[in-house]
Formats: sequence, C-alpha cells, structure tokens
Amino acid sequence: MRFMMLMIPLGYESAPPDVQLDPERVAAMMRYNEALKDAGVLITLDGLHPPSTGARVSFAGGTPVVTDGPFAETKEVLGGYWMIEVASRDEAIAWAKRCPASENEIIEIRQVQEMADFSDDVQQALAGFAELPHAGRT
Amino acid sequence: MRFMVIVKATKDTEAGILPSTEEFAAMGRFNEELIKAGMMEAGEGLHPTAKGARIDFSDGEARVARGPFDFSRDLAAGFWMIKAGSLDEVIEHMKRAPFPSGEIEIRQVYAAEDFGESFAPQLREKEERQRARAAKS
Repeated sequence: MRFMMLMIPLGYESAPPDVQLDPERVAAMMRYNEALKDAGVLITLDGLHPPSTGARVSFAGGTPVVTDGPFAETKEVLGGYWMIEVASRDEAIAWAKRCPASENEIIEIRQVQEMADFSDDVQQALAGFAELPHAGRT
Repeated sequence: MRFMVIVKATKDTEAGILPSTEEFAAMGRFNEELIKAGMMEAGEGLHPTAKGARIDFSDGEARVARGPFDFSRDLAAGFWMIKAGSLDEVIEHMKRAPFPSGEIEIRQVYAAEDFGESFAPQLREKEERQRARAAKS
C-alpha cells in the first residue's frame, strides 16, 4: 500500500519567499530519509516553497478565480511530503513517529488510491486513456 | 521547475464519494493533455482522512490521532506533480481542469539549487543521489 506522509509545519503559512532552512535540521532530515530508503519503503519525497510564492485556483462559481499566495485565512499549509510503500497504516504511523520533526510540525498520513480501489465502470472509462504516470510506478 | 498542485478535499471526497464515470473520463482527457504537453510527472488521489492519521510533535513526543479530521482544516484529496517553466504556465493549464467546484493550490517544489549557501555541497550531492535512486525504483 502506498501512503503519503504530509508534513505540515505550523507557521509556514506566513513564511517569506526566501525562508532559510536550518542546516542541522536539514541534516537530521537527510538521515531520516536515508533510513526510509535503506528500509526500502521510500518511493519519493519533495519539499515545497512557502505559499507566499504559490497560487490558488478556486472553481466555486464555475469560473476559475486565481488568488496569489500567501493565503491569509489559512491555518495549515503543506511544507513537503514523503510517499512510502508499506503494508499498513500502522506501519506508516510507526515511520512518521521516527521523523525528527520540530514541535511546530504535524505529519498527516493518507493512503494513496490505486486503480483497484475504483469500480469496474470507472476502470473501463479510464482504460481508453494513456496510462497515467504514478509515483513509484515505471 | 517542478510544481505540486494540491487538490483540496470537499465534503464528497471526505465522505468517500468518488466522481462519476463521466467526471473521471473528463479528468482522463485533461490528464492526457498534460501528458502530451510533457508537463505531467505524477497524479494521485488520496483516500479520505477517515482512513488516515495525524502525528503531532508539539509536546516533544509523537502523539497519534486517527482520522477523520475536522473539515475546517485545509485537507488534501489528491495532487499532481507538474513540470513547467513558470507558475503562470501552471495556472493557465490548471484553469482548464474540469472541476465543477472546489479549489486547488499550486506550490513550487524545492530543487537542490534553491538552498544556496546553507545547503552544504555534500548534502546536495546526497540529495541528488537519493532523488535519482527514487526515480529509478
């Protein structure tokens, strides 16, 4: 089963575009990433620039409306993610607990959908399209 | 440049209600355009937070809470990983996404060269090796 570990650093919602990372913390994360890789569970990972460099598109009224970051009303934003391959949610939780996270950070664990999770009708509807690139599938 | 396009959760996605076959087909056509344009690196949907968990590190220890989670939070329901020349290019493509409602958030992904001086060269090298291996596996 594939799971996302979504890193939510509280305060990142208002970080400046040129926010600097602490090299010691980066090194600790690198060691954690190595451990994930050595255990054969790491599929991919990425870090995200602060939302002040991003944008949102809302489709609420049927017409797309673009808002530039930062997003004033937002309490939590994503700072990065890992995608891992493990046998259960409990195993994903165990890995997340080992993360050298700071006290302002939350990790949310979410299972990734697979084609087999969809109904036969949907699978048939999608069969006519070029196969989608999925993380960890080549 | 690489971007993550985060699809926000809605009442339906959180209730585990999947899009209709027609909506899936419309999204399939949209994805095919992204692939043809050479922009699509990956696209994934997430199961509802009811099947997820949160680990809170605020007390100096990792405390676990099982989903579902409060809908007032910004929850994700899926994402694309997109290659593009600029944020504006991603916005222009994503405005054509066949969403009847809802919201997406577009965020630039860090590349090793973004870290500048603080990111020691040996760490940068290691990160690049890690990414190369992850891409191959």
